[in-house]
Amino acid sequence: MSRPAVFVLMGLCLLAMPAIAPAQSAAKPKLSASAIQIAMVETSGVQIPAEFRFDVYERLVEHVRASGAFPKVYRAGDRAASGITDLVTLHTQVDAFKEGSQTKRELTSVAGSTQVAVTASVTGRDGQTLVAQKIIGRVRYFGDNLGVSSDVAKRITKLLGETF
Amino acid sequence: MIGLDNVKEDATGKLTVQDGALRFTAGKSESKVPIASIDDIFVGTETTQSGGKTGRNVKIAALAAPYYSGKLLTLFMRTKVDILTISYHDSGGGLHGAIFELPIGQAAPMRTQLNQAGAHSRPEGNSSE
Repeated sequence: MSRPAVFVLMGLCLLAMPAIAPAQSAAKPKLSASAIQIAMVETSGVQIPAEFRFDVYERLVEHVRASGAFPKVYRAGDRAASGITDLVTLHTQVDAFKEGSQTKRELTSVAGSTQVAVTASVTGRDGQTLVAQKIIGRVRYFGDNLGVSSDVAKRITKLLGETF
Repeated sequence: MIGLDNVKEDATGKLTVQDGALRFTAGKSESKVPIASIDDIFVGTETTQSGGKTGRNVKIAALAAPYYSGKLLTLFMRTKVDILTISYHDSGGGLHGAIFELPIGQAAPMRTQLNQAGAHSRPEGNSSE
């Protein structure tokens, strides 16, 4: 193949790429909602200290607000959310919790990780589940055990960003 | 500390119960939680890094020391603290959680003080669900 022909072929490939990209994103259309309400983290019998539940909840409010994925972010119980027709609600259910040790983490680098496994789901006004995913947050090396809350909140916020 | 308006996360300050409110003062910043808005109080413990931000920097430097010598040094930089978690609601009904790190042994007396001032909390008030 001559050199000009190769350049023409490359040019055609580059032109075709933007046409392929929308086709891929079109396969998974994003949902839309003008507001989200963050429900309190539920435990259903899993032993988890209160500070972890509240820390995950507070971090979720903080991260979801900062992400800009929703024009309005409401806390659990906020009466202002009741009149919003396209409101969606984020539910976080703790499935498992293992409190590790910061000392062990720093001494061994392999043991002592803190882990929390949750199921994050988003429901619409009608109660229908729009998205649900299992997420695991971890603190492996540095940091207090409570750092696991920030990790899980970041992962849930990322899921919301991909869905909405 | 996290979860209070007007005060930066991880701020160090003074926690008091005064004039029907839980007050947290950090330098010029102050945040108040009305006692009547407190729904629950939890007390727990956690092992954490001593010495605040300076301690954290010293620890990072120590971990980089050769032949794992620094890792042993970090053992002496641990401290046990009390964790006081306050669940409260704002004027619009929104749920908040404020988490305070207190010197060991100070969270339970603070809970008693809040209860005496009229704050709601479960009788046992332990941290685990």
